[in-house]
Amino acid sequence: MGIYHLLWLIPALPLLGFLILAIFGLKMPNRAIGIIGCASIGLAALLTIIIGINFLTSPPTGNFYQQTLWTWFSVHGFSPAISFYLDPVSLIFTFVVTFVSFLIHWYSTEYMRGDEGYPRFFAYMNLFVFSMLTLVLANNLLLLYLGWEGVGLCSFLLIGFWYKEQENCYAARKAFIVTRFGDTAMIIGLFLLVKNFNTLNIQDILTKAPSLWQPGATTAFWAAILLLGGALGKSAQLPLQTWLPDAMAGPTPVSALIHAATMVTAGVYLIARMHVLYELAPVVQLIVAIIGAATLLIAGFSALAQRDIKRVLAYSTISQIGYMFLALGVGAWSAAIFHFMIHAFFKGLLFLAAGAVILAMEEEHDMFKMGGLRKKMPVVFWTFLFGSGALAAIPIITAGFYSKDQILFFALASTKGSFWLWLCGFVGAFLTAIYTFRMVFVTFFGEQKKEVHRKPTNSIKIPLIILGILSLIAGFIEIPKAWGNFAPFSSLMNKVMPQVQLAAGMENKEVLLEVITGIIALLGVYLAWQFCLKSPKVLYNFKTTGLGRFIDKFFFKGFMFDQLYDIILVRPVVWLSKIDKRDFVDRIYEAIGNLGLLLNKIFSRTQNGYLRWYVCGLVLGMAVALTIILFV
Amino acid sequence: MSLPTILFWILAVISILSAIGVVVAKNPVHSVLLLIVTFFTITGFYILLNAQFLAVVHIIVYAGAIMVLFLFVIMLMNLNASGEPQKNNLVKFAGVVAGGLLLIVLVAALKKADTGMLIQGSTNIGLIQNLGKVLFKDFVLPFEVSSILFLSAMIGAIVIGKKD
Amino acid sequence: MNALISTAVFGIFLMISGLFIKSKQAIRILAISGVVAAFVLNIIDFRQYGASATELFHGMLSVTNFGLLFIEIILGCVLVYFLLSGKDLANIGHYTGEYFALIFFILCGVVLAATYGNMLMLFLSIEIMSIPQYILAGSDKHNLKSHEASLKYFLMGAFSTGFLLMGIALLYGATGSFDITTMNLAGRPIDAMALAGIILIAFALAFKVSAAPFHFWTPDVYDGAPTVVTSFISTIVKVGGFVAFIRLFHIAFGSPDVDKHWLLVLSIITAATLIIGNVTAVFQQSVKRMLAYSSISQAGFMLFAVIAMNVLSWQGILLYAAAYSLATIGCFAILMKMKDYTYDGYNGLAQKQPLLALMNTIFLFSLVGIPATAGFLAKYFVLSAAVEKGGLLWLVILAVCCAAISAFYYFRLIWAMYFKAGDCQVEEHAITPAFKSVLALTALLVIILGVWPGLILAWI
Repeated sequence: MGIYHLLWLIPALPLLGFLILAIFGLKMPNRAIGIIGCASIGLAALLTIIIGINFLTSPPTGNFYQQTLWTWFSVHGFSPAISFYLDPVSLIFTFVVTFVSFLIHWYSTEYMRGDEGYPRFFAYMNLFVFSMLTLVLANNLLLLYLGWEGVGLCSFLLIGFWYKEQENCYAARKAFIVTRFGDTAMIIGLFLLVKNFNTLNIQDILTKAPSLWQPGATTAFWAAILLLGGALGKSAQLPLQTWLPDAMAGPTPVSALIHAATMVTAGVYLIARMHVLYELAPVVQLIVAIIGAATLLIAGFSALAQRDIKRVLAYSTISQIGYMFLALGVGAWSAAIFHFMIHAFFKGLLFLAAGAVILAMEEEHDMFKMGGLRKKMPVVFWTFLFGSGALAAIPIITAGFYSKDQILFFALASTKGSFWLWLCGFVGAFLTAIYTFRMVFVTFFGEQKKEVHRKPTNSIKIPLIILGILSLIAGFIEIPKAWGNFAPFSSLMNKVMPQVQLAAGMENKEVLLEVITGIIALLGVYLAWQFCLKSPKVLYNFKTTGLGRFIDKFFFKGFMFDQLYDIILVRPVVWLSKIDKRDFVDRIYEAIGNLGLLLNKIFSRTQNGYLRWYVCGLVLGMAVALTIILFV
Repeated sequence: MSLPTILFWILAVISILSAIGVVVAKNPVHSVLLLIVTFFTITGFYILLNAQFLAVVHIIVYAGAIMVLFLFVIMLMNLNASGEPQKNNLVKFAGVVAGGLLLIVLVAALKKADTGMLIQGSTNIGLIQNLGKVLFKDFVLPFEVSSILFLSAMIGAIVIGKKD
Repeated sequence: MNALISTAVFGIFLMISGLFIKSKQAIRILAISGVVAAFVLNIIDFRQYGASATELFHGMLSVTNFGLLFIEIILGCVLVYFLLSGKDLANIGHYTGEYFALIFFILCGVVLAATYGNMLMLFLSIEIMSIPQYILAGSDKHNLKSHEASLKYFLMGAFSTGFLLMGIALLYGATGSFDITTMNLAGRPIDAMALAGIILIAFALAFKVSAAPFHFWTPDVYDGAPTVVTSFISTIVKVGGFVAFIRLFHIAFGSPDVDKHWLLVLSIITAATLIIGNVTAVFQQSVKRMLAYSSISQAGFMLFAVIAMNVLSWQGILLYAAAYSLATIGCFAILMKMKDYTYDGYNGLAQKQPLLALMNTIFLFSLVGIPATAGFLAKYFVLSAAVEKGGLLWLVILAVCCAAISAFYYFRLIWAMYFKAGDCQVEEHAITPAFKSVLALTALLVIILGVWPGLILAWI
């Protein structure tokens, strides 16, 4: 058990890094800042890997290890503990968070070079990693919520990292406010759970819930849907997805780490962690699946029309998380987590590569002004291609194929799945292939429109290569059943998660489905090639027609959700507050304020400095109190 | 009515009247003299309670030493009736009302109080031998600790009294 | 009782030291080592006493691990106080040794307040805590306000001592005992004499902890006394008064058929304290006077521990003592470095002394009760103690509202420090790296206690 005792160090190391950077950061040379920022995360990653290997070779009894550091307080039997819980699920999340963070930190040492906020950047990033690790390791929903809000705060700070530009601040504020809707629902859900269980310990809740609630119970429904609200906000799912594309205002490593690889998948983690609740509330689970399916379609269509390379990736992130939600919704817990891991690799990679391109193009985000970078930046091109292949789920050779096809199969084959869910996912896969390779072709092929300004160095290349390789090979740890019985990932997950219930007669259809989705992905790539490289005129002509212009704009604006919310939420509130400038509710507060002023005057009058009056008051008070006690 | 009861009533009347006199008197010297009278009557109560030692100490310390000190201070500072700051009538009135109310409440409450507990215990506790035994056995800690209290008071007198 | 002996001996030692040691710094260091010694000696003591009371000196002292833990907290706070403000204390007048001696005598009184088992010891402890305060309040001899504060405090204090004595006498008359554990008020119909005694004692103690309507002296005295003294008497001595209060009312008057008589009056006193303290603090211009009123309102919260009477309230008062004392001592230590004590005097402190501003913010957060600071948990404990007691929900709601009001005047200071442009005057030479690091450690302690109260609570 020896090594497990070091579990607390995994979140503690980033915290230590944050504290050092926050306190002494301004006085340290940039080199030292980079080393501290990376080393703290790197050590945490190393420790995670060691613990992980230990966990895999000799699993602890019951497949979990729990470490209670201390109890925060204990009142009325409610005693939230600062306690960590390591099981296969949190192990995978911890591994991805530390490992990908480490690579991104390494990358950032080069990317952020010369920025005046260098120490601030690494301090925030370390704080983020700490919060994220707290979130995934927490054995207690209160601690989880702490991490949850912590990552939200870091996200806010990092989106607005270049706060001197007004727009970035708006984007940061938008992200914060939109996710707040979800967080509010979540905290109400937590209150509901406390009320029912008098504890927030996750394992206690999970074991007690089936005996307390019948499947389909109303309370279970509310608890599950309120927690889902939090998950939707954080994971940018319908209807709270609008903040993520704007969140690209932050530095690109931030987009890679927070808004693609880790934080936005917190919702997936929450639902997977509380899976018992969702099984007790089948309606909510169905809602999860439907939201996932709808989100992946909407985000896929929106991605088709974007011009900003980072916004394409942002919409693709929303869409891929939609797949994870779809998997959660049909009860394919392991598939969701598997897709999370693979997605973290390839999406982190894509963002980092895009960052390298943006750096080379002097902060140019519009991919139609790039072009032809294939020759100039070969490493970036090839790794970007690997990542894109994984995102588009190119059959057999990329990791994304294995994870996404598993989800599509379960969407159809699970007892909770249906043809319509599968169809959504299927169309989504087609869209993914198109917009991904549209991005590849426009950026790296064709004629060069701009000079390469800054060549990537090793600190940028090496993380790209590592992630590139992982995007190709990481899928082999979960090979479809039809091909052979090699699935260590799901067998690890199934130790703590229930297995997918397959509907009758579905086992044999897996190969067929794989062939279909493989073909559709390749077809998507072909279409992208046809319309973006070979004959862009066709597309251009279509865009100039009235219908084309409308569709283009509609997709470009992300189905007009921002405009919709502006009309149904923002404007009414602004309108209300305008006509209600001298609010009658304010009158009440003003009255309270005036009462306070009045009382203040009276009390100040009593404080006149004359001892005799003080004594008088004292004696009178005493007489009154004595009368109350003795005679009333 | 037995003799102690008669004595008690006489002493009680004198002590209350002289205590009122302390407050009312315009001349500070009169106040102090009346206070000495009050102390003497209290000494009388002690004797009635068979506490001779306390009675003697009370006369020596309070009526003797402390009051003489008071008189010295008052005479050296040349305080007299005209030097006293004039208080306005409102304060006086408020003071009387407040104090009077408290008095009424306390009297009304304690009028019917059960005093059964007071009779218990031996009556010769006030004798010097018994007192000494109690003081140095049961109450030795407070006896010693009160030295700290006096020490800090003495420090205070010096720190405040000495010129910088 | 190492703490009692060591504080008394060190007090006498420091008193004499003025004769031989001329250097103020040497005396200060001596005093600091004295507190450290008492701290260590008390730890040694701690292992011998358990949760049930051990009677010492024929029942004069009734020692529990709660009492010793409280003493330990107080000694820790005094150590912080000496480290942060010891220099200012040494510099208010010529009698450095005497000032430190008086502080040690007060500590002796606090030790007694945490361990007394007899009314006589209660009286002595209250008086030992009070008399040095009168002197310290008047120690700035060149300042008329300091004289005024001292005299006012003395006269009012003497007045309340009279009530305390009268209450004790009435209680003795009703029960025939001075011993707080064998007073046996429960189990028989309570008579008016005992009740009047309890109430008079309650008033006297309420005066000592500056609860309304016995608070009138507080703003004048706290404002008039030298700031370094105010820092001490508004923290250490006040919580010392509270431990006397809570022990007496829980042990002697705590049984259910007794507490129903005084609960209402103390609840009203609590409510009045909260309202008056907070409402009056809101419009103060001077930070020092604001802190004086804030100490009244914090006393309102501590009174919850007295009226709730369960395990949570014992834990709550321990946490509150530490949280309130540390934060207030920190605030005062920073205040002493300012040349202008008004709110405007803090304008722009964040630019000039970012660390000081940050630490002050942490202390103020703790006083408001922002989560993750010690102040939050302290408030949480005393309020949940009251909820558990039942029937006090109205008071709890009032308290929460008052905490919200308090945010206004505390945050106003943060606002001044961070968001107002200005040229605040700071005594630069007095802000040494040592001062800064102690301040930072204190702030760290405030936060550590907020996330890990077990540091204190694990011991009882």
